[in-house]
Amino acid sequence: MKLFEYQAKELLKEYGIPVPESELAHNQGEAVAAFRRMPHPVVLKSQVLAGGRGKAGGILAASNEEEVTEAFGKIMNLEIGGERPSCVLVEVSVPHETEIYLSITLDRGARAFVVISSKAGGVDVESLKGRVIQKISNKGITKGEAQSVAMKLHLSGEERERFSRIVANLERLAREKECELAEINPLAFTKRGGLTALDAKVILDDNALFRHPEFSKLHPEDEFEGEASRQGFAFVRLEGNIGVVGNGAGLVLSTLDLVADAGGNPACFLDLGGGAQRERVEAAVNLVNKLPNANRILVNIFGGITRTTDVAEGIKSVIEQGVMKPIYARISGAEEREAREILAKTPVHLHPSPSEAVEAAVRSQ
Amino acid sequence: MILPRRGEAVIVQGITGRYGSLHTKLMLQYGTRIAAGVTPGKGGESVEGVPVFNTVKEAVSKSRARSSILFVPAQFFYGAAEEAVLAGVKLLVAITEHIPVRDTLKMLELAKKHSATIIGPNTPGVIIPSQGVKLGIMPATSFKPGRVALFSRSGTLMYEVANELSSNGFGQSLALGVGGDPINCTTLNECIDLAQGLNETQEVVIVGEIGGDAEERLAKHILDRGFSKRVVGYIAGRHAPREKRMGHAGAIIYGDYGTAESKINALKEAGAEVAMTPMEIPLLLRKRRDRRERT
Repeated sequence: MKLFEYQAKELLKEYGIPVPESELAHNQGEAVAAFRRMPHPVVLKSQVLAGGRGKAGGILAASNEEEVTEAFGKIMNLEIGGERPSCVLVEVSVPHETEIYLSITLDRGARAFVVISSKAGGVDVESLKGRVIQKISNKGITKGEAQSVAMKLHLSGEERERFSRIVANLERLAREKECELAEINPLAFTKRGGLTALDAKVILDDNALFRHPEFSKLHPEDEFEGEASRQGFAFVRLEGNIGVVGNGAGLVLSTLDLVADAGGNPACFLDLGGGAQRERVEAAVNLVNKLPNANRILVNIFGGITRTTDVAEGIKSVIEQGVMKPIYARISGAEEREAREILAKTPVHLHPSPSEAVEAAVRSQ
Repeated sequence: MILPRRGEAVIVQGITGRYGSLHTKLMLQYGTRIAAGVTPGKGGESVEGVPVFNTVKEAVSKSRARSSILFVPAQFFYGAAEEAVLAGVKLLVAITEHIPVRDTLKMLELAKKHSATIIGPNTPGVIIPSQGVKLGIMPATSFKPGRVALFSRSGTLMYEVANELSSNGFGQSLALGVGGDPINCTTLNECIDLAQGLNETQEVVIVGEIGGDAEERLAKHILDRGFSKRVVGYIAGRHAPREKRMGHAGAIIYGDYGTAESKINALKEAGAEVAMTPMEIPLLLRKRRDRRERT
């Protein structure tokens, strides 16, 4: 789960990492009131999860009340990566000279968490020149290791001390809150010699959320993603018109590829999970049936532990309840003949292979 | 990594749960010798005729098993794995999904210290058709004995591909799921090292997916060390959106890191052929075997 910038900055503050003074504004009045309370100029920042906010025009400077009002309106009406903000962060603008990139992240190849840092704070981490990477043991970073990151960045004296404290604090945050990524980009050296986190990105380990009740109410979720997660489905909303349902993440992923290769456009990714029974199939088909951008449903099942007859019964039962967008299905595996018989008298378009079912779903009008 | 052979004792941790008991039955049907099970507090019961113990230590001392398959819920997983390793278990098959990544890292560290191997987590397990050994949840009917070693990051895709292979005359010497999580305790690199040593294995099929760089690392490993057997790859997720977790915890693209394109290119550079759909995999294998038989 990715946190909004303001949530990430609250965590930084909790861990003793300096962030600029800021306030969250949900309406114009709040934005202006926040502006009056803080030193000027300020920046207004769109609180969306999508990246590239600056380039998209989601971060605007303001030095008087008219500018605040205008910037607030612009940002609230700006969609970034298909996402509209529900609030704006009003933040004191921090004059600074140099920037640093700093993150604690999981290095999947090294199978360890690492500190990544670079003197060139910037947009694209992968292309950062002269970046320093320091592996961290499961017990956490030592003071010496944090210092050595600072030395490799050629920091000295007071700067080195301040920076290594921030490295250590950010690592403790990432470890204690179980983040996959805790990133400060940029970390700015202010004109007064301090260090301040101007932007922050935190991605939590979803699988560890059961140990962190403090995060349980953080997100206003997409209605459908919320419903899917309550049902225990892996679900991703996409922008096309073909709702894709299958059993197993890899299988659904490969079905999305088949759809796109055939010239179609998926409306969602829905993985029923292993061993799904009739009720779960019903719930899944119902969910996609309600999804406004889906006008047809493609079901790809390879039955192993999942019984194909359970799948067929589930589909038949939702159709009998009076739904339905057209359904195209491929159902293979154990008991597939019985499954086909169950669906024979329904309007479901059954196809013997995934590619034929995909082709039919894409071509139909 | 030492995989169990026919008749070798195996234990099941979490044997009394819904999945644990169902798959105990299916593994027994396949021929795996499940000698004991473990569920704390359920000692003295039995599942499918298999005696249940309270601790791994008891189960191991009664059965002499060196391998365990785990169906323990994610929040208790680390404790169960630790118990197994400390009781002397040398191979752990971690079926459980949704284990926190920091628990997996701790588990991996502990396993290394005790020279134990973990397959997974979030894996369908491993199957050796010629031995009648299955430590996993895969549907047995898709797998036939043969000469292809199949390694996969995804469960259902592994079954689908195995089924395609089997019905086209390509049985498997071994099929192993490395798992859908960001951390694979047994890596694809270790898998092909294993395949290199299996005499009956003629080709290797790699089923990858978006996220991370396991396939890129595999390609580099093949280029650095050399690999004498044919490799055919398939990567799911060519059209997946960025920054969205596609079902598996590990299936997520960040920026240009973890794209299907990067994996496909890397495998091709290492001399592998890459199929665009699961159905194409047996066709590529057929072409290669035919070519070899002609020359």
